[in-house]
Amino acid sequence: MKIVVEQEKLAKALNNVSRIVAGGKTTLPILNNVLIRVDAGKATLTTTNLDMAVVDYLPVIESVDGVITAPARLMAEFVSNLPKNAKVEIEDKDKKITLKSGNYKATVNGVEADDFPEMPEVDEKKSVAFVMGVDEFRAGLSEVLVATSNDTSRPALTGVFYNTFNDSLFVAATDGYRLADRKIVEKVKSEVKAIVPTMPLNEAMRAIQEDTEEVEILFNELMVQIRVGEVEITSKLIDGSYPDYRQLIPKNSEENIEVKKEELVRTVKLAALFSKTVGGTIKVETDAKNGKLRVLAVANEMGENASEIETKVEKDEKITLNAKYLLDALNCIEEESVIIGLSPNLAPMVVKNAKSSDYTHIIMPLNV
Amino acid sequence: MYNLWKNVLEEIKTKVSAPTFSTYFADSELITANGGEVVINTKNIFVQKQFEKKYDGLIREALKKNKIEVKNITYVVSAGSTKVRQKAREITGENIEENARGVVKKISEVAKERFDNKENPSGLNSRYTMENFVVGSNNDLAVSVAKAVIENPGKRYNPFFLYGGPGLGKTHLVEAIGNELLRRNPKMKVLYTPIDHFYSSFVNSIQNKKGAEFSQRFRKLDLLIIDDIQFIVGKEKSQEEFFHIFNDLYQLNKQIIITSDRLPNQIRTVDERLASRLSSAGTFDIQMPNFEDRCAILKAKAEWEGANIEFEAIEYIAENVKTNIRDLESEYSRVLAVADLKGVTPLQLINAGYSSAIGGGKSKSVSAKQVVEKVAKYYDLSVKEMCGKSRVSNIKTARQVAMYILSKELQMSTTKIAPEVGVKDHTTVMNGLKRIDTDIKLNFKLRDQIEEIKEKIYGN
Repeated sequence: MKIVVEQEKLAKALNNVSRIVAGGKTTLPILNNVLIRVDAGKATLTTTNLDMAVVDYLPVIESVDGVITAPARLMAEFVSNLPKNAKVEIEDKDKKITLKSGNYKATVNGVEADDFPEMPEVDEKKSVAFVMGVDEFRAGLSEVLVATSNDTSRPALTGVFYNTFNDSLFVAATDGYRLADRKIVEKVKSEVKAIVPTMPLNEAMRAIQEDTEEVEILFNELMVQIRVGEVEITSKLIDGSYPDYRQLIPKNSEENIEVKKEELVRTVKLAALFSKTVGGTIKVETDAKNGKLRVLAVANEMGENASEIETKVEKDEKITLNAKYLLDALNCIEEESVIIGLSPNLAPMVVKNAKSSDYTHIIMPLNV
Repeated sequence: MYNLWKNVLEEIKTKVSAPTFSTYFADSELITANGGEVVINTKNIFVQKQFEKKYDGLIREALKKNKIEVKNITYVVSAGSTKVRQKAREITGENIEENARGVVKKISEVAKERFDNKENPSGLNSRYTMENFVVGSNNDLAVSVAKAVIENPGKRYNPFFLYGGPGLGKTHLVEAIGNELLRRNPKMKVLYTPIDHFYSSFVNSIQNKKGAEFSQRFRKLDLLIIDDIQFIVGKEKSQEEFFHIFNDLYQLNKQIIITSDRLPNQIRTVDERLASRLSSAGTFDIQMPNFEDRCAILKAKAEWEGANIEFEAIEYIAENVKTNIRDLESEYSRVLAVADLKGVTPLQLINAGYSSAIGGGKSKSVSAKQVVEKVAKYYDLSVKEMCGKSRVSNIKTARQVAMYILSKELQMSTTKIAPEVGVKDHTTVMNGLKRIDTDIKLNFKLRDQIEEIKEKIYGN
């Protein structure tokens, strides 16, 4: 096996594949390695942690077919420190891998590829595929990932739920305290309900380059494959039933107030300063008579804080909630104005983008 | 099964490195090993792939050393929740049967194999016989008609139109008629085919310009069995062809048997002429068996297979699976498999709190009193406090949660619940249930609490 590659391309590819490598934490040492394969002049780098795998195609200048594995992190770090615009040559001989670039040279101990796990293939005929623009893919994820749970006792909530509803593809996440739901593709022809772990999704986001235009996601009943440019990320799905989350989204809120996002973020941050002792519990009230939205700190051990925003208000409503969740929700929205929906009887707060109905974030009230 | 696999794993342990063993093999399970068909469960798709590509030989060898017959090994990954579907493939019932684990073949493939099999030109599955068909009040009329057809094919009950919900044994009964007639007269020309395969053969014959051969093949038959005719929707040309074949056979007094999940006039897009022809000799249905019938079915199955299962366990399954016979049999197999896995008898398993996959199987093993006690304990209250008159909100909630669980899990009526939780009458119970029903949708905490209580109730 021999390849000659541009330093920058090799560094990028090694970087893409080596992030998922366990780094000494795995019991199976071969999982620390990257599989370098050259087959009919086409070179690929592959890594896996046995929950997911990353494959990156490598544009080579020169190559000799063959296959070998080498420690992924070491390779990535070595190559990234080589001078830019240089060519790097990698060659294996008797399980010794030589890296050469100008005056820099290293020899790394390789391991035979036979020990490296075989990769599961995605049978396209038995899969459903969704193609979307990079912006939709990225926006969809960045707006819901924050609401995923870290609680491994309910595995389903640790992932992002890709689901089709009324011929559109949605992503959703909830940790039981808040919920985010985003429509990403309209008029889809297939149906899917699958819970994708966050790790492959984060890797897919990182694999996006400036010139990437589209992302393709393939699902079958056991796995998902995300194709971003030259990178293919394959992962198992989370087995579990996802809550029927649409039931939790209030159809219409009694009171809908449009406010400047920046202003609301400021008032919430100020109130949060005073509610640190009670875990960030704050109160949001609407005052119809004076046309005001008020944000108050609940605990007054440290003092008091109340900020007001003047806006059009029709009804008096109030809700007690966690300031962090509200800030998270507001930070997900890239728009100057947001709409806050409130209803009586401990209904959740609805936070929406003022310009688009594709995104809904709801926050459960605290019952105090 | 569990111990068996443990031995196999011990064998494998000596052949691979410790990290390899713990990474790949530690979480695997042997699901079945019946008649050489071995199914092994793996942790995920990555592990599945390694088993298929790298360790298949090793596993086969270790199974053989433990005297397990091996013809085929299927490695599966358990997954139940993920659903994918392409809309264009929605048309027939095929994909319902499709199983991503590759254990079950598409019915059309099975049908095709059977249809085109030269050694078995009838397409009948010899497993289905009259002897192993359990007669009960749900199907006795259909069975007596079936017997009449066997005695006098092509006479009074022609066509024999049999309908009923999925998984109730229609296919079994009609194939049994075919098998019995063949047994009596091996020269008889019998053909069993699901309607969708009838189409594909018809379409193929047109494409290959063998249309005449196709209709000849059917017109030579003495008995034609068409399964699941409801899938005839919207295929006019094949419907036309079927109508002609039907008429020809009918006029020659050849027996025709048809199954469907509904009555002929309820099958949309079936030509009216055809619909009236189909029901001309009457229509007969198979219904869902009642409790006694279900017990009888499972008992017969257990005897047939020589399985070791207590009658109480059979009763438990029969009581809890009320959907159809297919589900009933799969639940039965599951109980046997799990019991085997844990090395206990089916009844021990059930008594240990095994919960059914179908039906609300858990409810039978707990009493209302136990539920009330567990709920009170969960909320740190005494039963007396909880079932008292207090309006304090947490006590009231506890009481309402108890009502809710009694209603949802034990299917008790509101009048029966009232005395259990110490309230005046059923309207109070109704209000309580209503409140929990609404709150549970909005309040994750309450929902989790109820789940936790349920776990506590069924947990020991």
